[in-house]
Amino acid sequence: MIYVPVMSLDVYHNFGLEYYLMTEHHFNEPVFMLWSTTPTVMLGKYQDAAAELNVEAVKRNHVKVARRYSGGGTIYTDQGGCQFTLIYPDDRTEIDFSSGLELIQKALNQIGIKATTDSRNDLVVGGRKVSGSAQYVTPGYKLHHGSLLFESNLDLMNQLLNVDPVKLAAKRIASVHQRTVNLNEQEPSWTAADFRENLRQAVYDLTSFQEYHLIADEQARVVEIGQQRFADPKFIYGRQGQGAFQVKRYFQGGGLVKIAYSIYHDQLADVHLTGDFFSNLDAVKFEHALDGTDYDRQRVSNVIRDQLAEDPILGVDADQLVNMLFDHV
Amino acid sequence: MLKEIHMPKLSPKSDQYFFGEWHKQPGDAVKEGDVLFEVETDKVISQVESQEDGVLKEQNVNTGDTTNVGDLVATIEVA
Repeated sequence: MIYVPVMSLDVYHNFGLEYYLMTEHHFNEPVFMLWSTTPTVMLGKYQDAAAELNVEAVKRNHVKVARRYSGGGTIYTDQGGCQFTLIYPDDRTEIDFSSGLELIQKALNQIGIKATTDSRNDLVVGGRKVSGSAQYVTPGYKLHHGSLLFESNLDLMNQLLNVDPVKLAAKRIASVHQRTVNLNEQEPSWTAADFRENLRQAVYDLTSFQEYHLIADEQARVVEIGQQRFADPKFIYGRQGQGAFQVKRYFQGGGLVKIAYSIYHDQLADVHLTGDFFSNLDAVKFEHALDGTDYDRQRVSNVIRDQLAEDPILGVDADQLVNMLFDHV
Repeated sequence: MLKEIHMPKLSPKSDQYFFGEWHKQPGDAVKEGDVLFEVETDKVISQVESQEDGVLKEQNVNTGDTTNVGDLVATIEVA
């Protein structure tokens, strides 16, 4: 087994490193890495950002949003946690989490953490999830990566991860939420860095891995892949390059108005109006009128004016709603 | 000659997969070993390669479709 030390906390760089090792370097034996990130949410390959994330909380807390090449649900990672990556040369396309999970489970057991596996290929301690895993398979190689929570900010995690079935775009993969726990409950005297180093040592004891350090050209290529493939907003938020937005504004004398929307093919989509304002407005009719409208201030303004002409909102006018859809981007 | 491409079995646990994205479009030349499409199942993204040389004729499933093992996925015109 090869061990590649990872210094970067940048999720795009580290996803680029995984991809580089899998598709360009082509080691003939398994590769193992341990890494961490700055506060980051990672979506699964086919997930809907609008439904999975509280975009406002993501922006407020300066959290990075990334999309994995692997499947599964959305996770939160930070420097209090530890990511592991295993890359195997493998001609079988059939799915198998067992060898990777067995290694991590054995290493955790060796350092005194009694982790077991569950039916979703997660590692659990006392029935609570401490690690989730996902994979992607390219011809000849299989990548298994996972997340270990040690002293991650679970309060922030809960604020960021949403799962709103109302907003879930049709034909997307939805996250399955499970009860999670930090591993420092088991080893409170360790820091996250101690945990990572102890885990690295335990994997070394089990595999006698060789260390490999990337040369300068390889490092440059990793940065390039990270920027081109993983930091691209079109990849992260959707093929059209626009995001999923949630705007909330309080109007004196009107109340709180919340509008969530996405933009697909330069048109409004998935518009969702809620709030505590006073109106006889039929929110569903309002939303349907806007869905499919070109994302153009004048066109959107015309639709909103027509809707409010029938059923006004007390203390909130059409221009204010139009501003919510255009002025925050 | 037209050759039918059917969904292979990719997971020991499941015969029903989420269809991901096409890597080849109708009219594209395809070589044996080229990635045709990807699917997601059990938190795994798998890329499925062509077993044929030819030209992709028709795509029979779209992103987000649920497909079963054995379903017709595409046809390839082989020489």
